[in-house]
Amino acid sequence: MSLSARGIAIRFGGVVALDGVAVSVSPGEIVGLVGPNGAGKTTLFNCLTGVARPQEGVVEFDGQDISRLRLEHRVRLGIGRTFQTPRLDLAGSVVDAVMLGFNPRLRQSMIGACLPFSAARRNEDELSRRARALIAEFRLAADADAPAGELSLGHLRLLEVARALASEPRYLLLDEPAAGIDDVDRDLLAQAIRNAAARGLGVLLVEHNVGFVAELSHRMVALVSGAVVAEGRPAEVVADPHVVAAYLGVQHAAA
Amino acid sequence: MSRDVRIWTAPAVVVLGFIVVMLLGLVRPSLHTTMFTIGLYALIALPLGLIYGQGGTISLAQGSFAALGAYTSAILTTRYGLPPALSVIPAMLMPAALAFVIARPILRLPELSLALVTLSLGTVIAVGLQRGGDFTGSYVGLSGAPPLPIVGNDPVLVAVALWTAVLIVVVLYSHFVRSARGRALNAIRVDRLLAEAMGVNVPLDLSTLFAVAAGIAGLAGWFYVHAIGYIAPDSLNAETSANILFMVVLGGRRAVLGPILGAAFFTFANDFLPGAQTHGLVFGTILVLILMLSPDGILSPQALRATRRLFARGAPAPGARPAAIADRTEAVR
Repeated sequence: MSLSARGIAIRFGGVVALDGVAVSVSPGEIVGLVGPNGAGKTTLFNCLTGVARPQEGVVEFDGQDISRLRLEHRVRLGIGRTFQTPRLDLAGSVVDAVMLGFNPRLRQSMIGACLPFSAARRNEDELSRRARALIAEFRLAADADAPAGELSLGHLRLLEVARALASEPRYLLLDEPAAGIDDVDRDLLAQAIRNAAARGLGVLLVEHNVGFVAELSHRMVALVSGAVVAEGRPAEVVADPHVVAAYLGVQHAAA
Repeated sequence: MSRDVRIWTAPAVVVLGFIVVMLLGLVRPSLHTTMFTIGLYALIALPLGLIYGQGGTISLAQGSFAALGAYTSAILTTRYGLPPALSVIPAMLMPAALAFVIARPILRLPELSLALVTLSLGTVIAVGLQRGGDFTGSYVGLSGAPPLPIVGNDPVLVAVALWTAVLIVVVLYSHFVRSARGRALNAIRVDRLLAEAMGVNVPLDLSTLFAVAAGIAGLAGWFYVHAIGYIAPDSLNAETSANILFMVVLGGRRAVLGPILGAAFFTFANDFLPGAQTHGLVFGTILVLILMLSPDGILSPQALRATRRLFARGAPAPGARPAAIADRTEAVR
């Protein structure tokens, strides 16, 4: 049982974004995917979620080949994701944003949605209650009825994670969830990720911030120029000479 | 609780507004005809409010879909002797089916292209009706369509019947926007990738709603042809479609009541403004002014939120902030 990709290769014109990459995440495991800008982290992520189609390679969900499945079907299977740039209706309320997250698990008919006193209608209160409980977990309860546009970037990222969790994913893929957020929110986020893994979700974390990932992950994968250069326990990967040269070296030199 | 009450606000406003105007009509009987025109426009505009205001999918074919419904019913009743009570079904299905078939390829287009494609679809329908020979009555159109079932020719009863249809659409629309499907449509407007990531089948949802919108326009066409007894190629055409879009944008495309407000504004303005040639100028100026002040029309989300706050004084609007800070500091410890 795992979400895995093998031999993923994708080219944009002449640029090789990914060249035979393999990555996998098992239930309950937190895998950190790190690499410098342009290493292909987000592209790999998009191949896993179905936003991008690799020219070569296979994506498997618990042994089932899902390479041909579209994004919305993968979500319904149980691959939840967040976006690097939060994608939300900024005019809509925070609670509505999270309620949208329930959609992949609801099979509501168009007619049921329109009719008063229908089962879908009665379900609405229950959904609202569950959304508010999720929002409270992320300490956003006071803003539940405010427009999402009034939240800070950090809170928007937390909201996106809450929404992704609402779809009850088996695997949670987070694209730079800690970018641009403060320490309080980062701790909340780290706790939420640990809780999710403890409940048996596989978490794949794409991050720029190596410190945050190393602290949180069970296993790390380092991607440089579209290829995996190191993989293993966080301490090993962080110390790996390839990684230091390609990524940390730049940071250390700058510091 | 509060959600349930708010769902019934728009239908309640429609019922109250209708009763008030119809009572005024006792003093000034021409209001009954005005109410029919408003209801007709409202019925065509409401589903456009749904697909454009909620789903971000523009259409300049609503007037032509209404014409298609009207012609379908006129042909079936005058040529084949079908009673109007039955012809209402094909009058809705015909435009809906056409809309569903063409929806998939065109709804991927960006807004401006989609506006042009739907506009030219209207032109194609108009040309088809004009060149249909005896079958469609050519440029003259068709007359002799029988009156509406049950309500007959009584202007008050006709208005009641039409506004009952409007009310039903408003009730369904109000519920839809506060459902999972409504949130999905909203997500499509904001960002199609987001909608897909939330498990939404974007092409299917959009095609379905595009077809429903066309079907409801067909229902309006059915009311039109059987209330007036006559339909011609320029009764409901591309110009109607453009006016309908004007009503939706002016009244407020995000609000359920927006299209109805727009329809009322348009109809009253048409009655009071002299000289049909100057209408375009006046409406254009009004539209530009309104959109500069409030891009989402008169009933914008901001305006609605402000109104709600006014009515719900003492609700936890500003007072909640300090509590939020306390909540967050606790989280740090």
